[in-house]
Amino acid sequence: MTGIRSAAESSGLFSRYSPHGFDEMFTSTGEVRPAYAPLQQRLLNLNCNELERRHRIADLTMQRQGITFTVYGRNKGVERIMPFDPIPRIIPADEWDRIERGLKQRVRALNLFVHDVYHQRQILKDGIVPTELVLGASGYRRELHGIEVARDIYIHISGIDLIRDEQGNYLVLEDNCRTPSGVSYVLKNRQVMKEVFPLLFQQYDVQPIDDYASNLRAMLRYVAPGGIQDPTIVVLSPGVYNSAYYEHSFLARQMGIELVEGRDLVFENGQIAMRTTRGLQRIDVIYRRVDDDFLDPLAFRPDSQLGVAGLLGAYRAGQVTLVNGVGTGVCDDKGIYPFVPDIIRYYLGEDAILANVETFRPLIDSHRQHILANLDKLVVKAVDGSGGYGMLIGPASTAEQREEFRAKILANPRGYIAQPTITLSQHPTFIGEHLEGRHVDLRPFVLYGEEIKILPGGLTRVALPRGSLVVNSSQGGGSKDTWVLGGAHS
Amino acid sequence: MLSRVAENLFWISRYVERAENLARVLNDAFHLELDAAGLHGDSEVKGPLDQVLNVLAGQDRFELTWDPRESEGLLTNLTFDSTRSHSLLSMISRARENARATQDTLSPESWSQLNQLYLALTRSKSRMQFEASPYRFYDRVKRSCILFHALVDSTMPRNEAFYFLEVGRFIERIDMISRVLNVWFSAVGEGDKSPDYSLRLVYWTGLLRSCSAYEAYLKRYHERMDAESIVQYLVFDLDFPRSMRFCVGRCLESLHGITGGGRGNLAATDAERRLGRLESELRYADLQEVFARGLPNFLSGVQDACARTVEEMQRAYFLN
Repeated sequence: MTGIRSAAESSGLFSRYSPHGFDEMFTSTGEVRPAYAPLQQRLLNLNCNELERRHRIADLTMQRQGITFTVYGRNKGVERIMPFDPIPRIIPADEWDRIERGLKQRVRALNLFVHDVYHQRQILKDGIVPTELVLGASGYRRELHGIEVARDIYIHISGIDLIRDEQGNYLVLEDNCRTPSGVSYVLKNRQVMKEVFPLLFQQYDVQPIDDYASNLRAMLRYVAPGGIQDPTIVVLSPGVYNSAYYEHSFLARQMGIELVEGRDLVFENGQIAMRTTRGLQRIDVIYRRVDDDFLDPLAFRPDSQLGVAGLLGAYRAGQVTLVNGVGTGVCDDKGIYPFVPDIIRYYLGEDAILANVETFRPLIDSHRQHILANLDKLVVKAVDGSGGYGMLIGPASTAEQREEFRAKILANPRGYIAQPTITLSQHPTFIGEHLEGRHVDLRPFVLYGEEIKILPGGLTRVALPRGSLVVNSSQGGGSKDTWVLGGAHS
Repeated sequence: MLSRVAENLFWISRYVERAENLARVLNDAFHLELDAAGLHGDSEVKGPLDQVLNVLAGQDRFELTWDPRESEGLLTNLTFDSTRSHSLLSMISRARENARATQDTLSPESWSQLNQLYLALTRSKSRMQFEASPYRFYDRVKRSCILFHALVDSTMPRNEAFYFLEVGRFIERIDMISRVLNVWFSAVGEGDKSPDYSLRLVYWTGLLRSCSAYEAYLKRYHERMDAESIVQYLVFDLDFPRSMRFCVGRCLESLHGITGGGRGNLAATDAERRLGRLESELRYADLQEVFARGLPNFLSGVQDACARTVEEMQRAYFLN
């Protein structure tokens, strides 16, 4: 085993590496973690030019296959590839086992919560979660109250964002229970990694991820409206200008089903059908990558051209299954987030396996005092904001911004939450000709069908600018292949 | 198959085929400019690059907003000007944009090929390569387009998607051949009152070359280089892949493939009927009669038949 100091001496690759916060590869004393030891040996034997060259091939491969996302900006959207970092993230089997149990528990409880909210509302009556927070959440859809959905599953597909604190504990930062994206990068990263860096796989027993599409399809078939043996399943995309379009088309292709857009669909005789070269064909299950608001201009936003008029009616009548269900936004709301551990305890009688990030709510007197006294240290988030909007990052804020948020919080305490600023864990990342530490998070993908299945690993996003904590791909984030090791190596 | 997707596929291969043909014609014109400079003398015939404009002119509304006499500018514009719908780059961009929206229907290999061609054309290096040698540049584009079709051919199952691609490809090829023939023949004439023989020879050789037909033609007709034989070969030949009759045959097979009708059920749709009529016309046409009625008449009839076939397809498959 090579510590960081001797690694730095024996190879230029590590010469600039410095541990900071929790490091995925090295312990706090600078020793390489056991799971990373074989990888480190491989890296020490590779020269920088070789790594550089292969890195370029990987980028080129992505570009040629058109694995791009669209960044919106001046005039037209620009297609970009998500920068791919060749140093894989490794998760030992025992660590993963815990994550997996934690995710299953969390998603099962959240699904029960959604069902409850749209039926008896027992959890509200029992005072576990404040009613006004739930019914006032921007993702709550009153149109769905009392509606039955196939197999009582709402959150078919979720991406739960995890980060690690200074001690290396995995914490849930965010639940994404509407239309989480990124899974195509997970699958493509692995494919490119195997093509370009086959050597790195030696000596590792990496859990395969190839069965995602078939699991996804099996789940979609399982949730078809009652009694349908061989349902027609489609992926509904907003279209080629959507930033995640590549993923929509990738998933449709991997599952061998049609990729449709709103304009391909019609509502007829209470059912949803698509226009084909042989006339109209009925659809039973729609894996939709269109937000609730745009699904049906009759029910939601009347200006939407991405959905189809009548879809919500067909859904409510049980003629078609939507995946994910409509109204799941009520459970991944930032205002509800602090209650998820209570929700888990309420429905499952268990303590949460994966902890939340400590969260303060201005509605509670003592919390509010703490928040207002520590605005320069906390991150304040608007509960209905996303993508970094309506957010105050205390340590990077000006006095003026803090005053603005103080006023906002006092005026609308329900509209905000606050969390300590957490330094994400860092991971060796190939920058220029060297490895440097960069912050990472992890988005595992959870499928809820006949059983709950979790793709081993998930999307590791990495913040490429030095010191940055923002891993979003639209803001210069890259991604890494993520290896979950088989039991033998834990 | 979704109507929108079917229409997309039809246009993807049409654009790729059109781009390939444009590369062929431009390459030919570029050479003719070099070869025929001295031969033109004070004859009335316009330069070959001007003729290319005539080929394109019929296609959609086409505006001449640059000076046609600047041949270098013209060649560059027709290749790279993305603001003009007729440039090579525009066609490939549109094909690629359609393909991006239909990625799940194309095979990954064919999509990647088209994407690579697009990326290669939009790279800054591409201009330098063009300026270094237009010939090699066009040859590369031509090969890339052919490779796209070849990948479609060898990686896609014979289903609707494949057949829509095929129809688009061959309809476009028929259309393009008839336009090029028309323009070239009206440029150098059909009969004896046209410019002198050596100029005609240069044009006809160029035309055959641009259709990859020169050597195959020589094997059949040897040194005989006259209008009748060339029309016979590029219009009525049964075996040559860039003859109209050959293309109409392939197109018709693909239309049958779409309707699922076998040989016994040859005219299930109006599109098949239209094209079937054109096929028998080509099959039984009499060369002398064609020339007697005038080649331009005949060729515009072919173009008309193609256009109507596409209209019928629109009605039957795309506008559901």
